Amino acid sequence: MVSSRRPSEQATTVILALAEQPATWQYAYELCQRLDLNAGTLYPTLMRLADRGLLETTWEPAVPAGRPPRHRYRLTGPGRVLAGRLAAEPTARPAPARVAGGVGRRPRPEGT
Amino acid sequence: MNRTKRLGRLGGLAASAAAAAPFAWLWVLQMRNADDPLTAQARLDMAIWMAVFGTPWMLAAWLLWRAWWRQAGAQLATLDGPGWLLAAAVATLPGDRRDWGAAMTAELAQVPDGAARWRFAVGCARTTVFPPGGSRAPVGVAGALAVVAIAATALGAGAALPAGRVFALTFVGLVGGLATQAVARSRRVGGAGPGPAVAGLALAGVAGCLAFTIYYLAEHPFYDGVDLAVAVSLPPVTAMVLAVALAGCLGLALRPPRWLVGDRLARWFGIAMAIALVGGFLLDSRLVQPGLERGSHGMMGYLLNGPLLVILPGSAAAAAVGRSFRSGLWACAWAVVLAAPLLIAAWLAEALRWDQVGRGLVLDGAGPLGVGANLGNAIWWPLTFLVLWALPLGVLGAAAGGTWARRRRAREPADVVPAP
Repeated sequence: MVSSRRPSEQATTVILALAEQPATWQYAYELCQRLDLNAGTLYPTLMRLADRGLLETTWEPAVPAGRPPRHRYRLTGPGRVLAGRLAAEPTARPAPARVAGGVGRRPRPEGT
Repeated sequence: MNRTKRLGRLGGLAASAAAAAPFAWLWVLQMRNADDPLTAQARLDMAIWMAVFGTPWMLAAWLLWRAWWRQAGAQLATLDGPGWLLAAAVATLPGDRRDWGAAMTAELAQVPDGAARWRFAVGCARTTVFPPGGSRAPVGVAGALAVVAIAATALGAGAALPAGRVFALTFVGLVGGLATQAVARSRRVGGAGPGPAVAGLALAGVAGCLAFTIYYLAEHPFYDGVDLAVAVSLPPVTAMVLAVALAGCLGLALRPPRWLVGDRLARWFGIAMAIALVGGFLLDSRLVQPGLERGSHGMMGYLLNGPLLVILPGSAAAAAVGRSFRSGLWACAWAVVLAAPLLIAAWLAEALRWDQVGRGLVLDGAGPLGVGANLGNAIWWPLTFLVLWALPLGVLGAAAGGTWARRRRAREPADVVPAP
């Protein structure tokens, strides 16, 4: 059962980013880069979303030799419904555009 | 010789040297702190004792390193710093989060070299140490209960049992912390556990230790120390050692790490060895030495012989039956974890009986110091011998049993080939 509790700010950012291309499987490192989130912020968010049934996860089917398969993510049906609801809320912020500089920097609060 | 092999050998030597170093340091310390100038014979005797305890640890360290290097070390040698950090962090993840560890490891391969790899690995490591729970409410409740328990213990122990305040506070604090951490790290309370036999034995051992410790602190908080000066039965350091040992055994037995849970056979061998070790102690204490004069004998001999007779062959048998070095190792680990609180409880119970029949201290039969002197002995001596003596013997036994099973397996195909 999906909780009706409002997701955190980071979870909202991730949900809205995943909802931009709901049918496409996405990767954690690319999400980190795109949202300028640290892996230490993104992974707990992904884990919670998956635990709540909002995120579907799967392993890469065709893997080139010499590297392990990657984990891929996309929203489930309830996840997409929630994304639609969050996008419609006036307080919902759009997913930030990709920031150069790669993984590791948290978005700074406004005014700092 | 290629780099991986060379690293493996160097690592083995370093592991052996690291295992020998504390014993060498202890010997030097004894030489320095001796009140009187020691004779050459006394120095030699001490060196022999250090060698007796140090050599099994040196061999055990080398065997453990070799097994680890064959399994994972050679692969880890190809990793860079962030890879090492993430591999170590992922190994601590609870079983139900293992997929996420594999996902992080695979993702790190996509991160280009440099600072970005470190940032990614550190972020992942943080997640593995504090993975999100299903709900924060149970963690909050567990944490709040732990704080209440610590506060109640501080007040209750201070008033009812002042001599046990350090022990009670340390023990309750550690158990509360471990319980909160267990709730925080797992979404499913009551997942794969060690089974009722392990849990029951551990709980019985810890409950026995607690009951006897409380009794000793209430009835015999002091004893006659050196030159008849009054000594405290449970000094603060000993109290903390007991609390850490009991909380650690309880934590390992009730919420064991996933690598310890998988091997059911090893668990049963461990249970059997723990029961045999404690049963042997009671038997030796009750049947072998009845009617001896005070000061003539103690249980020190059993601490040396018991692990030799139980842990060494038991671990070898576990490895041979389980057909792996690991089975023997895990069996030995379970035996030590379960035997520690049971042995302390048995020691304290026997000490009361020995005192009643006037046989002095359980350790060496010395007396008369008062029964309270047994409390410190019952904590330090079994724990020291289990760690310094039983553990390396278990590793040696596991290696012998594993080698025997491997040779037997190598011969098997030849046995089943039909004669031409």
